[in-house]
Amino acid sequence: MSVALPIPGFPGRIFAVTLPAGPGGTPVTVGGQNALPLLPEGEHPNAPAVGMEVRTGPLELPPALAGTIGPFAGNPAAMARKCAGDWGARFLFLSLAGCHPDAGGQSVSFGAAVVREVLSATPAPVIVGGCGDEEVDALLFPAVAEAALRPVFLSYAEEKNYRLVAGAALAYGHGVVSWSPIDINMAKQMNLLLADLGFPPDRVLIDPLTGGLGYGMEYTFSIIERIRLAGLSGDAALARPVLCHLGDAWKAREATDASEGTWGDVDARGRRWEETTGLACLAAGADLLVCRHPSNVARLSGAAWR
Amino acid sequence: MALTAIDIYKLLPKTNCRECGQSTCLAFAMQIAAGKASIDLCPPASDEAREKLSAAAAPPLPKVTIGTGEREVVLGDETVLFRHEKTFYHPTAIAVSIRDDASDEEFASRLAAIRRLSFERVGQRISVDLVALRCASGNADRYARAAVAALAATGLPLVLLAPAGPLAAAVEAAAPSRPLLAPPPEDLAPAAKLAAERKLPLQVRARGIEGLTVALAAARAAGALSLVADPSPETPREAVSFATNLRRLAILSRNRDLAYPSAFDLGGGFPDPFLAAALLVAKYGSLLVLDSADPADLLPLLTLRQNLFTDPQRPIQVEPGVYPIGAPSESSPVLITTNFSLTYFTVRGDVEAAKVPAHLLIADVDGMSVLTAWAAGKFTGESISKMLAGCGIGEKVTHRTLILPGMVARLSGRIEELSGWRVLVGPQESSALPSYLRRLPPAAFLPVHG
Repeated sequence: MSVALPIPGFPGRIFAVTLPAGPGGTPVTVGGQNALPLLPEGEHPNAPAVGMEVRTGPLELPPALAGTIGPFAGNPAAMARKCAGDWGARFLFLSLAGCHPDAGGQSVSFGAAVVREVLSATPAPVIVGGCGDEEVDALLFPAVAEAALRPVFLSYAEEKNYRLVAGAALAYGHGVVSWSPIDINMAKQMNLLLADLGFPPDRVLIDPLTGGLGYGMEYTFSIIERIRLAGLSGDAALARPVLCHLGDAWKAREATDASEGTWGDVDARGRRWEETTGLACLAAGADLLVCRHPSNVARLSGAAWR
Repeated sequence: MALTAIDIYKLLPKTNCRECGQSTCLAFAMQIAAGKASIDLCPPASDEAREKLSAAAAPPLPKVTIGTGEREVVLGDETVLFRHEKTFYHPTAIAVSIRDDASDEEFASRLAAIRRLSFERVGQRISVDLVALRCASGNADRYARAAVAALAATGLPLVLLAPAGPLAAAVEAAAPSRPLLAPPPEDLAPAAKLAAERKLPLQVRARGIEGLTVALAAARAAGALSLVADPSPETPREAVSFATNLRRLAILSRNRDLAYPSAFDLGGGFPDPFLAAALLVAKYGSLLVLDSADPADLLPLLTLRQNLFTDPQRPIQVEPGVYPIGAPSESSPVLITTNFSLTYFTVRGDVEAAKVPAHLLIADVDGMSVLTAWAAGKFTGESISKMLAGCGIGEKVTHRTLILPGMVARLSGRIEELSGWRVLVGPQESSALPSYLRRLPPAAFLPVHG
C-alpha cells in the first residue's frame, strides 16, 4: 500500500550565495534550495555551513570555552588558523569588537590591520563584523573594505548604516550581511533598500538576530521559519540565506554556571547549550551558523544535511 | 483542511427557517465556519450534514493521554504545522529509560536520577515526563515488579517497552496508572488486544509510513483506539522526515488512518540520540524515549521544548517586583523595566554585565515589552509612580532616583510630578546599559534628606 505524502511544492528559490575563499581555500556556497530544511524533498544543492567566531578585544570565556579556545583567543591570526585548520570551521566570522570604546577602543587602523592579518593567516572565507558603536563603525567599515585584499562579507548593514556599509562593500567587491531585530518586515525592508542601491542579491545574507536557548530562541526560530516560507513562496526580498550567531547561547547562566550541582557538568552543558541553539536554527532553516566551541563545528555539521 | 462557509452552506437545508437563531442559512454557515456555532443548533439538518460537519470539527490530530491526574501526559491534538500560525499545544513528551535487569541498587539510583531531571526556569517547572521501562530480563514477574517500583519511586507515568508476556504482567500490576504499551512489532496483535481490553494507549511500531499504515490498521481492527505511531527510523535524518510527514498527513491531508501522535525510541544504540531529540522537539515529535539521564543533556532539551511550545501570542511573564542584581545596597541604582520575560532577562543580563549592583523593578504589564506596554497604556507615569510607592523600594534605598528605559523618556516628567522621584533617562537599548551604568556618577544616588 502506498501513501501519497502531501509534500508542499514552492514557486520560489533561495538565492545561492558564495563566500569567496583565498588562494588554496574552499569557498562556501549556501542557499539555492526550493524546499524546507532537513527534509529529503525538493532541491538542496548546498548544505548549511558551520563556521567559527574570531574576536578582538577583551574576552571573558566561560568554563566550557576557556580550556579549548582560551590559548588562542587572544591572537586573532592564530585563532583563525586553528578554527579553519584544526577545528574544521568552513568560514570565519571576525568580530572587531575590540574597536568599541567600551572594549578597549582599538583604533580603526588597528582593526583593519587585524583583518589583513587574518586574511593572510588562512584562505578560509571571512565575514568581518563591526564593533557595534555607530560612530566607530562608520569609519571602520570603509577601512576594512579597503584593507581586505580579497572579497569578504561585511556585517552588518542595518537601517541606520546600510548606505555606508553597502557603499563600502560595493566599491571593493565585498558582500554584506543584512541585519534586522527579529522582525520580518524590517528584514524585507533592509533587502529592498539594498536592492535599491543596486546591491547584487547573490551577495547578501540575512542575520535575523539569534536569541540564545532559553532567552528568546523561540522568536528567532519563528522569524527564520517565516522568512524562509516567504522566500520559498516567491518573496524575492526574503529569498536569502540566513546566518545565525550562536554566541548568545554563552550568555545564558545555564551554559556557564558551575555552581549548580543538579545541572550536570558545566563543560558538557555549555557545549550542549550552544549545540541545541544551533540545531533549532537549522530546523527553522538557517544556512550559516557561527559557533564558539570547536566541538560544535562537527556536532552541528552532523545535522547540516543537503 | 477545514470547511469554508460556502462548503458548509451547501450541506444545510437552505430554507432560512431561523430555528438556529440566525436569519439565514448562510449566516449560520459562517458562524459554524468561525467555530462559533455547532450543527446541533439546526434541527432540520440531514444526517449526512451532521456527519460531515462533526468530522470536520474533530481535531486533525487526535489526543492521546498517558498516566493520570497531575502527571497525565497529553500527546497530539495539534492544529498547525508552524508555531507562528497559532501555537503548539502539547509539548513533546520526554521519557528517560531504565532497564529491568539492573541490580536493586542500580535501579533505585537510576530512578532517583530520573526524578532529579526537573528544573525551575522563568518561573515554570520543566521536567522529564515519563519513565520508559525496558524489558531486558525477559522475566514477566521481574518486569511487573520493576514497573511497580518505578511508579512508586517517581510517580511518573510509564512507557512499557516489553514483549507480550512481561507486558501483560506489568499491565496487571500497574493498569490504573494508565501506562503506554510499547510492544515490539512482532507482538502487536496480543498487545493491541490487551490495550483494547484495558482501554490503554498503545505505541504501534513499524518501519516507515508504509509499515505504519498496515500496523495501525491491525491495531484498530483489534479494538485499540488510543494509538501512538512509531515509524522506527534508523537515522536522525529519517526520524525528522517521518515525523514531518506524519504531521502533514494529519493536518494537510486529514488522513485519518495515519493521524496519530508520533513516538521515537532514541535509545538502544540509535545514532546521535541528542541531535535527533533536539530536532524532533523542533519538528513534530510527540514522544521521545532517551537513554541519557544526564542533566547536561536534559536541561537544554527541556529548555528548547519550553521555548518552542510557548504560545507566541502569550509570552512568558516574570513575577513583578523588586529584583536585586549582585548585592545592591541602599545607594545602588534603581532601574525599571517590564515583566515580559525576554525583556527582563535581557535587562538583567546587561546589568549583570555592567558589574554594578542594582535594584531592578519589574512592572506588571501583562508580559509586554517596554514599547508595547507603553503603547497599550500599561506602562505609564501613573503605573510607575504607583509601583514606586507600593513595592517597597523606598525602604531598600536612601536615594530617590529612577533609571527609566530610554524608549519611554517622555514619561519622566509625569513620574517626577506624581512620585517625587527624580528620573534619569537610560539608554534606548538594553545593550548600552553596561557602559551607561559604569559612567553614572555615584553622586546620582546620594540619600535624600528631609
